[in-house]
Amino acid sequence: MATLLKVATRTLRGTFWQTRSLTTTTPLSIKEIHEKRESNALVYEGVDVVSPRLDKMLKPACDSTFCPECTLGLDIKHTDVLILSQYVRSDGCMLPRRITKLCHRQQKKMGTLVTMAQKAGLMPNLAPSWSKKDPKMRFGWRKFNKYFLESTIKY
Amino acid sequence: MSIAKRVQQWATFARTWHIYDCTWQNPFESASLVKTHLMGLHKPIYHPMNDCGDHVVLINTKEIALPGDEWVKRVYFHHTGYPGGASWTLAWQLHEKDPTMVMKKAVYNSMAGNLQRRHTMQRLHLFHDDQVPQDILANVTNQIRTPRTVPQRLDHIDKETLENFPAIMDYPKDYVLR
Repeated sequence: MATLLKVATRTLRGTFWQTRSLTTTTPLSIKEIHEKRESNALVYEGVDVVSPRLDKMLKPACDSTFCPECTLGLDIKHTDVLILSQYVRSDGCMLPRRITKLCHRQQKKMGTLVTMAQKAGLMPNLAPSWSKKDPKMRFGWRKFNKYFLESTIKY
Repeated sequence: MSIAKRVQQWATFARTWHIYDCTWQNPFESASLVKTHLMGLHKPIYHPMNDCGDHVVLINTKEIALPGDEWVKRVYFHHTGYPGGASWTLAWQLHEKDPTMVMKKAVYNSMAGNLQRRHTMQRLHLFHDDQVPQDILANVTNQIRTPRTVPQRLDHIDKETLENFPAIMDYPKDYVLR
């Protein structure tokens, strides 16, 4: 029954995808949304861009299945902001598994590490626009320095 | 006594001054380290009756770090002695009132409660920032190594490092950058 359902949804998704492929611009290219104001009309434009990470990709990461811990054997801490920031959008949201291509356990772990880094105030520039950005300006006890132990991550 | 032996005698019993930067350090981990130098436990001539402790200057005590939510879980108790005179202060509230107090109490509580403790504490010099008087700083000859490395903030990393750092994840082809 479960497989039947899966097949049914797959075909449904297939038809949906086919309708999506009728686009006026080229599909399959990374886009950036630009906001422009032209004489009291706000224009949103999807501009094709080359991936900013294209020429500095690590070689093992170009394989289809890549996890920093499983493939490279890296022991990532919450202070490794240069790695963690790659899995985060510019407003500080964790990217979904569909985009990060991590295994289930690694995705959960990375999400926790990102949260730890954000709470410790190590990635204040990747935050929502309404954020005060400076960790020292936080309310109450949150303005003081804190760190986290990776041994407290459950999975 | 020869000149060499006399100098060795001075060097052995002279009080050394150590400096310790508390930035991003756990005060309770640091306390055991500071206590060792303060009491002279690191010296081969140590004896409880031998007054061989050193001076320790603690700087940047305002920048100490506690793990997880310990700022709200750790409570300092005080009793005035009158009925109903008990009070409980959270660690972050105490740190807000006096940025040196959490560190000072950590060192004080790490030592055994004997008559020497108050005198040993006199050799501890606490500063909430890095502004140390010149007459204290002039004595310092050693820096105590800190157990934790200070984490680097992403917005403080220079642009060159950011650009040259290898990427381990590329966006899929249908991704909308934001």
